[in-house]
Amino acid sequence: MTMYPLELLRGTWLIYRMHLGTVVGSRRTLAALVLAAAPVVITALASNFGPDEVTGEMFFVNIGLILAMGFSVPLLSVSLGVGVVASEAEGRTITYPFTRPIPRASLFLGRWLASLTLLVFLIGGCVLGMAMAADLRSPVPEGDVSRFLVACLMGVTVYSLGSAVIGTLFKRGLVIALGYAFAVEVLLSIVPGSGRKLTLQHYLRSIFLEGRDGFFGIDDNIATRFLMPADDAMLRLCLVAGVLVVIGTVTVSRKQFVLSS
Amino acid sequence: MSAVVEAKELGRWYGEVVGLGDLTVSIEPGITGLVGPNGAGKSTFMKLMVGELRPHRGSITVLGHRPFGSRPLYRRLGFCPQQDALYEHQTGRAFVRDIMRLAGFGRREADQRARSAMERVGLSDAMDRKVSDYSKGMRQRTRLAQAVAHDPEIIVADEPLTGLDPIARRQTLELFRELASDGKSVILSSHVLHEVESLTDTMVLIHRGRLLAQGSVREVRRLINKHPSRVHVKARDPRRLASRLLDEPHVTAVTLGADGEDLLVETQDVGIFHRRFGAVAGEADAGVRSLVSDDASLEAVFDYLVG
Repeated sequence: MTMYPLELLRGTWLIYRMHLGTVVGSRRTLAALVLAAAPVVITALASNFGPDEVTGEMFFVNIGLILAMGFSVPLLSVSLGVGVVASEAEGRTITYPFTRPIPRASLFLGRWLASLTLLVFLIGGCVLGMAMAADLRSPVPEGDVSRFLVACLMGVTVYSLGSAVIGTLFKRGLVIALGYAFAVEVLLSIVPGSGRKLTLQHYLRSIFLEGRDGFFGIDDNIATRFLMPADDAMLRLCLVAGVLVVIGTVTVSRKQFVLSS
Repeated sequence: MSAVVEAKELGRWYGEVVGLGDLTVSIEPGITGLVGPNGAGKSTFMKLMVGELRPHRGSITVLGHRPFGSRPLYRRLGFCPQQDALYEHQTGRAFVRDIMRLAGFGRREADQRARSAMERVGLSDAMDRKVSDYSKGMRQRTRLAQAVAHDPEIIVADEPLTGLDPIARRQTLELFRELASDGKSVILSSHVLHEVESLTDTMVLIHRGRLLAQGSVREVRRLINKHPSRVHVKARDPRRLASRLLDEPHVTAVTLGADGEDLLVETQDVGIFHRRFGAVAGEADAGVRSLVSDDASLEAVFDYLVG
């Protein structure tokens, strides 16, 4: 029993190594690359052809919030996260790791970390690319870039973990995860009250927009008025991530995957 | 000898469908054939053996371990699943090597074991090709290679001969014999009885999720003594022979074949039949050409048992 953490670590590393190549070389990754490049291209176009009075920083913040954080981060995370365990079960290869002397939780952790590695590269590249593209118009403050990068990386971490858990628990995980990210979250964010605190976007925006009076170039924008301190948002997201890791690993350790022959 | 697999009142169902009803069975070391028609519950039993599923009732132990998630058991067990699933982007050798890494071996040893296992299943020339290019039989042998590469004490193989060509089938049967002679236990399932018959005399018959019979072919035969045994006879004058045979008290039925030469005799006691047949055939002067008893045939035993 005392060896369990070591075995978990070793198993996770082995699964990670096994699946990193698979994740990187998959066709889904090509589509993800296009999706991650879209905000960069749009920022570059805006910087070159946008109205003269708009600064590079404004392009970076607004395109970043709407397109990168609001669209690319959840979509990429869901599409790469939901299959972490589900694709092994659907492909009926889950038998192989599950009949080897590694903790079952290793499969969840190893495969999720492989997906997360790719997501970090994609979203990290996207954010830095956007910053460089916006710089073409006028310099973007380093603080904005680093806060946005942290927010997006937290976003891919939590969204992909949540999607992985949903994919492990439910058969139609992709539909449920997309439904949450693009329907439930949108609905909660526009309903008056504290419903927005149930959305990940609320915390991501809090990390990025702390200290700002607004965005879209409008001071005291209503969207930023109800945000929380960045540290609190960060802490809560870390807690959510921890809970999701526990749910995912416990589920995969206990769940029986009925595979057709 | 202690049993390698012990199942007590084992039950597993899928929704309202019964996969395994109430199975109590003990499997001894050596080669054991798990036999039953499609849907009998063989695969469910095997999935319970390897811990892919948990029982809904009863209990199962393999080498003394409860299988579900048992890492100590997985060091000692190799499983060749029925489903035709591999990591398609990998070569056969890389696939087995990665599985050996998960089995706890270092990189170099995992690679050596993968190479040696692929050679053992007859895939020396194809081991560095992608598994997506493999034929069905090659994929089957790759699954078998990952099951044996770590030198397990017990190998559980679900329909391992399906999809193999005659040469590969012979090689695979030979591999199972080698493993058994090395002291390993092999449990293999099949719905084709003669496949198992050619490999082992020990079998477990499952039908509709329940144990139908267990033991050697002869023991199973003894269980069904109340059922008639069948003997096929070819003779020049089968009508005359049939008439004479019906005078024998142990003969329960005689059926003439359409070709005018065949005779199917059903007897309550095949031992007496064989002892008496020479004399009866001589008296009838029927010109007997061949005599084939299917008393020892698993197929016949199975047909009788499942009605």
